[in-house]
Amino acid sequence: MVQSAKPVPPIWCPGCGDFGVLAAVKKAALEQKVAPHDLVLVGGIGCSGSIHNFLEVNGIHALHGRLLAQAIGVKLANPALTVIAAGGDGDGYAIGMGHFLHAFKKNASIVYLVMNNETYGLTKGQPSPTSQVGFEGNIEQPFDAILTALSIPAPNFIARTFSGDPKTMTAVLSEAIRFTREGHGFAFIEDLSPCVTYNDTYKLWREKVQDLSKLPGYDPTDRATMFRLCLEAQAAGRIPIGVMHRPAQPGRDGLETKVVGSGPGPARAEMDLTANAAAYQKLLAALG
Amino acid sequence: MTTPATQTGVHPESTVPTAGRRAAPLADVSVMIGGQGGDGTLTVSDLLGRYFRKRGLYVYTSRNVLSRIRGGHADASVRASREPIAAVKSTVDVLLAFDQEAVAIGAHELAPHGYILYDSTTFKSELPNATGFPFATLVGSQLGQPIFKNTAAYGALSVIFGFDPTETRGVIEERFKRRGGEALEKNLKALEIGRRAALEADGLADRFSVADGNAHDQIMTTGNQAVALGFVVGGGRFFAGYPITPATEVMEYLQRYLPPVGGVVRQAEDELAAVNMILGAAYAGARVMTSTSGPGLSLMTEGIGQAGAAEIPIVVADCARVGPSTGQPTRHEQSDLSHLANLGHGEYPRFILAPGTPVDCFEMTAEALNLAERWRLPVFLLLDQALCQNTVTSPRFDLAAVKIDRGERLAPADVQRLEQYKAYAFTDSGRSPYAPPGTPGVWAEITGNEHDEWGHVSVNPANRERMMQKRMEKMVRAREELPAGRCFGPASARIGLIGFGSTYGPIREAQALLAERGTATRFYQARTLFPVPTHELDPFLRSVDVAFVIEHNYTGQFARLLRETMPDLHGKLKSVRKYDGANFRAPQLVAEIAGGA
Repeated sequence: MVQSAKPVPPIWCPGCGDFGVLAAVKKAALEQKVAPHDLVLVGGIGCSGSIHNFLEVNGIHALHGRLLAQAIGVKLANPALTVIAAGGDGDGYAIGMGHFLHAFKKNASIVYLVMNNETYGLTKGQPSPTSQVGFEGNIEQPFDAILTALSIPAPNFIARTFSGDPKTMTAVLSEAIRFTREGHGFAFIEDLSPCVTYNDTYKLWREKVQDLSKLPGYDPTDRATMFRLCLEAQAAGRIPIGVMHRPAQPGRDGLETKVVGSGPGPARAEMDLTANAAAYQKLLAALG
Repeated sequence: MTTPATQTGVHPESTVPTAGRRAAPLADVSVMIGGQGGDGTLTVSDLLGRYFRKRGLYVYTSRNVLSRIRGGHADASVRASREPIAAVKSTVDVLLAFDQEAVAIGAHELAPHGYILYDSTTFKSELPNATGFPFATLVGSQLGQPIFKNTAAYGALSVIFGFDPTETRGVIEERFKRRGGEALEKNLKALEIGRRAALEADGLADRFSVADGNAHDQIMTTGNQAVALGFVVGGGRFFAGYPITPATEVMEYLQRYLPPVGGVVRQAEDELAAVNMILGAAYAGARVMTSTSGPGLSLMTEGIGQAGAAEIPIVVADCARVGPSTGQPTRHEQSDLSHLANLGHGEYPRFILAPGTPVDCFEMTAEALNLAERWRLPVFLLLDQALCQNTVTSPRFDLAAVKIDRGERLAPADVQRLEQYKAYAFTDSGRSPYAPPGTPGVWAEITGNEHDEWGHVSVNPANRERMMQKRMEKMVRAREELPAGRCFGPASARIGLIGFGSTYGPIREAQALLAERGTATRFYQARTLFPVPTHELDPFLRSVDVAFVIEHNYTGQFARLLRETMPDLHGKLKSVRKYDGANFRAPQLVAEIAGGA
């Protein structure tokens, strides 16, 4: 057995919601039988984005907000890899917003896990895109990633979970990993993961979360229904959680299967000059 | 410093026809075609280029267009010569103008013996050396659509140059055969309309003639196309980019070239995504590249910094245009060098390679992939608008000139022989063996944070120092592997010329003109700009009394870099600069060099 990088102890504060996510990632990867060398964790910038350091997997620490572009690059280069991009709400919804929206358009088969704590924890508690009005002087409206995700049509997987319910979180993440490993497209999970130091919302969120799957009429194959259920829950002062979208008929992802086809992907494509000589001669001959 | 050159009246061509009919054949001819965007000037340029190539001539075409889809003044120029050329001719022999503005603009460029053909549908020129035909009206009345006026004008040009009628027609057939049917038929009719009109005009037929050449084994290409081909042949398999002039064609060619060899091209949502997609793909083990221009390069800066710090091998082709900011998107400049040399916050190693010809573009793009993977850092290909977009005859690209060297890349079998796998291992060579994700049994942390050998985040001062040295020393250790510069002209010459990129063409031509006057020069074509190849430049500068550093920017960026790197040779350097958006022409350089030496 070759010795590879060993996990280091998490940098998180005791009680941080991200510990729940870390445990869920381990369990879900085991459940889905992903070998450590085939799992790539792409981390964003912020407390949550350091998660890849705490597991025995391939980890790449992306730039602030750019983790989705890097994760999609990894997946396109080698579709055999299982790719999970993991970061926070500031990373994904502020500096990374452009890539976030385009990830739904691209519908590549990667998991995107956002640990939403409604604050910039690592820089000590500034308001983030999801902060409530009034938090640390915030006067901007909070961004709702689930409603936004539901508005972009694609046969994807969308869910919101709560770190206070690790069992459900693990089940949802496991489904998301399977969804992407089977090449059905993008899987987006927003996990409500409280920052115990700068925005301790455990108690509040435990009271407010509402599992939409328990409601009559719950149908995650129907965007309009889920959009309405989310708005109704919010109007009642609740935070909707649960699987928000799951296609009735799982499709094929929007990128890998279309652009890589059945080949091994660019990372494993044949680049030997002799093996490609005929193809290259044809290209050069066309120059006339 | 000398002041930037202005256009001079020096006329370099040795075979100028005397006034009147049946002039001696031109060995070097230039045709300028001007009009509004949408007039079809580029089509005429393409047709002429095809004809001249059939006659065995070397061809160089350039275009001057605005950043808009239609309208606005646009012109193109075609130069053909019996000798290899890599620049626009200093003067125009024949101007074809579709409107009055094109006459006004083109007349400035006209040689003393030059002649103007124009479309007289909307205006009449009083110039003595001009003949107008109402091409749009003639074609419109006979074919129902005036849009074929450009082909009629090509027909008139074929008469003034005494082109072979069958071959003139063959070029049209070749160009329009794919569209076939009505398009081909109407273009052939338009050709005859133009030819007939010119043949009936007094004194126009055979006013010029162009000598045939022997350049039959050449291809016609652009730097952008050569970069795309070099990438594919060099094993490049993943490309992400964002449309930007004048880099877009690299992506467009690769959209055709890459999928058949198992590669992937993605048009990203912005340059940030483009560079990050290639970072992800390179991390995953693919050979990658992006291409962009100044504004996109600014956005890619953070990603390129990560490549430097995290040791991720990427190639970035900078198809430079006029800056700063949006600048002049379609115009020529070489003002990104200082930016590339200092790109990003903090310090990290990078190589800047500067191809000067399509063959350079092909071979050096493939080599850039080798260097990036061997040394695990960002490699820049610094091109310029003229090199990227002007079409030029070129020797065929040689597959045998390309080698693939993936450095210390670990195959699955290699990994099994290791006791430990550290992605950032300290080694004697300074290069850390790398196993991409998916290699059975191993994994690693890759990060732009300062890290230890395992890739774990580290603030240990001793480790920081050692890691900085490991990365920065790549620029010293790799020096001898970087593309060597080329010297042209006698080693005994006391006047040195230094340039890079597309200035190769005008400098070579200026050398020939200076040699005719008895002034010997030696030209060092720099092909690695950073780290500065002092091992080549030091002896070069010691061999001359003065060296003119010729470049397209305001501050003399390469000259400044040389002064900073080789302070003891400071006094020998003279800076020749041009930043008006157009290329140097040989006579300007001759004037600068003759005046400054």
